[in-house]
Amino acid sequence: MTFTIDYLALAPELVIVGTLLVVFTLDMVLTRPKKFWIATAAVAGTALAAIPLVILGVQGETRSMFDGSYVVDEFALVLKGLFIVAAYLVLLMSHHYIESERYYQGEYYFLLLASVLGSLVMASSRDLIILFIGLELTTAPLFLLTGWRKGDAKSNEASLKYFILGVLSTAILLYGMSFLYGLTGEITFSGLAEATAGRGDEPAMVMAILFVIVGFGFKIAAVPFHFWAPDTYEGAPTPITAYLSVNSKIAGFVALLLMLYIALPGVSEVWAPALWILAALSMTVGNLSALRQTNIVRLLAYSSVAQAGFMLVPFAAAAVVGADLEEAFAATVVYLAIYAVMNLGAFAVVIAGARKTRSGELSAWAGLAQVDSRLGVLVAVFFFSLAGIPPLAGWFAKFAMFRSVMIAGGTTTVVLAVIAAVNAVIALYYYAKVVKTVWVDDPTGEFVEDVEAAPAVSLRLALWVSLALTVAIGFFPALVTFVGDASRVIAVGG
Amino acid sequence: MVEGILFVLMAVTALAGAVTVVVARNPVYSAMGLLGTLFSVAVLYVAQLAHFVAAVQVIVYAGAVMTLFLFVIMFIGVDTSDDRDERLPMQRFWVGILAGVIVLLAAGITLSGNFDWVPAAVETIPEATNGTIQAIAEPLFTDWVLAFEATALLLTISAAGAIALAHFKGQRT
Repeated sequence: MTFTIDYLALAPELVIVGTLLVVFTLDMVLTRPKKFWIATAAVAGTALAAIPLVILGVQGETRSMFDGSYVVDEFALVLKGLFIVAAYLVLLMSHHYIESERYYQGEYYFLLLASVLGSLVMASSRDLIILFIGLELTTAPLFLLTGWRKGDAKSNEASLKYFILGVLSTAILLYGMSFLYGLTGEITFSGLAEATAGRGDEPAMVMAILFVIVGFGFKIAAVPFHFWAPDTYEGAPTPITAYLSVNSKIAGFVALLLMLYIALPGVSEVWAPALWILAALSMTVGNLSALRQTNIVRLLAYSSVAQAGFMLVPFAAAAVVGADLEEAFAATVVYLAIYAVMNLGAFAVVIAGARKTRSGELSAWAGLAQVDSRLGVLVAVFFFSLAGIPPLAGWFAKFAMFRSVMIAGGTTTVVLAVIAAVNAVIALYYYAKVVKTVWVDDPTGEFVEDVEAAPAVSLRLALWVSLALTVAIGFFPALVTFVGDASRVIAVGG
Repeated sequence: MVEGILFVLMAVTALAGAVTVVVARNPVYSAMGLLGTLFSVAVLYVAQLAHFVAAVQVIVYAGAVMTLFLFVIMFIGVDTSDDRDERLPMQRFWVGILAGVIVLLAAGITLSGNFDWVPAAVETIPEATNGTIQAIAEPLFTDWVLAFEATALLLTISAAGAIALAHFKGQRT
């Protein structure tokens, strides 16, 4: 029997698995004061996993395994790169946070790396089973990690809510997938694309597709499936919140992109209107709810719901007959890449700021810039970038999104673009309010001013990396357009 | 014909079991209801010629998982009754109406008969492989090795994480 495994193509995943085992072993042999080696190993392993990615990228050939169910092409490589960079930043943010609060460290990194592994698997998956297992591997560790602050009732609540709704959404997703399989007898995306084409008028097919969308809707926290997000984001340890809002959300979007554009392009008349509604609702409800938030993490939670809405906008463009699906696909991927960088930056600032204010309430942040102007500048950079103000990276994400919609044309999509534009203005209000609180308002309380409150080296590194990327992408959007171009290749033309 | 009768019988027991799970006041009865559902579904699998799945269903769910459930219930104590206060007024009433509407709708659609649920059914039904260990192991460790290993990791995560979360001693809050 000839059966070979392309080990180079699997190398990034294998490196992460190796790191995972090292972390687990180190946790057993090291005593408490030496536990920092675990974090070091995790960070080093994640950085190491990028090397095979670069090698594969330079070679530039598409590698396909397991009868085409696992493919390493440019799209997969770009997204794996994004997942690894984001995971790297989250690990840097975690290091001091986890150590200073005396949480379990070995298990924390073990679970976090397992989740990263799941997202890497997902980027390459080209069939329902591997996609599903990858998605589960990404989210299952997060159910546990959101509850890591065990003494805090809010963290318990966060974990439980996320778990119950996550499991429910998984069940719905799996039900939809089993219907797809039952109707077509196909598991691979290429097989599904052929078998489903033109069958959008069958009730069972419509139901299967809607179930799949609902399942993913929970994962990306799109309205009306977002109810878990604010409570979970608030209760979870802040680095995990950052991970949830970036890696986990991107993973959900990758699944959605693969399923809809690769497996189900032939029935876009079914899913595009559904995503139109999701996009419009997510933007509007997310932004309007964010206006009223007084807690900075909850504000970011609603902001990430709204951002998910912006990312869904290009999907709706697929409804237009003869629309350029590649353009829509690339716009979402570019938005994901930029969103990852700036949102991680925003969370890193929140972690750094919370050490000084000892509070997540926005009122406690008043006048922070007066005692620490550098932190103030960072707050301004990341929040204005999220709002989409040039020359920071966020403007290009929104530009790519609007461009894809305008190219597609069509009345309904233009209406959606108008809704998106109105929402962009609403979003500016609350992002600017945070910056105003930090810079203009007078301090309401005392700030902690000691060595403990200064950001740790690893956190500073995370801040610098995300700052550099946010500013650089804003001035040279060409840095991310290749991300979109690479992914264009695999999008099936409508 | 036989399959039709079998389906109706087993569907009814499966539903009855599921209702028992929700309705029963005593958690042991709930567990028993679940057991009934699991067995009925296992019979349905056999009717679909999925012998292996049926066997796994009985061994894993009806056997291992149910034992674990009962163990936990006994461990916590059967007489601990839940707080059954209902916060929403008329909760049951509205759920009843909703369920009724759904049932009527489904019945109407089925009875009207002009509902093409699946216009083009799949012609090719995958051949049932014989259920030897080799027949199962070969695809599992070749074509599906990646999914298989990832699933194994998923189980490790659950175990490691559950212990880390449940173990509370010596940790600062």
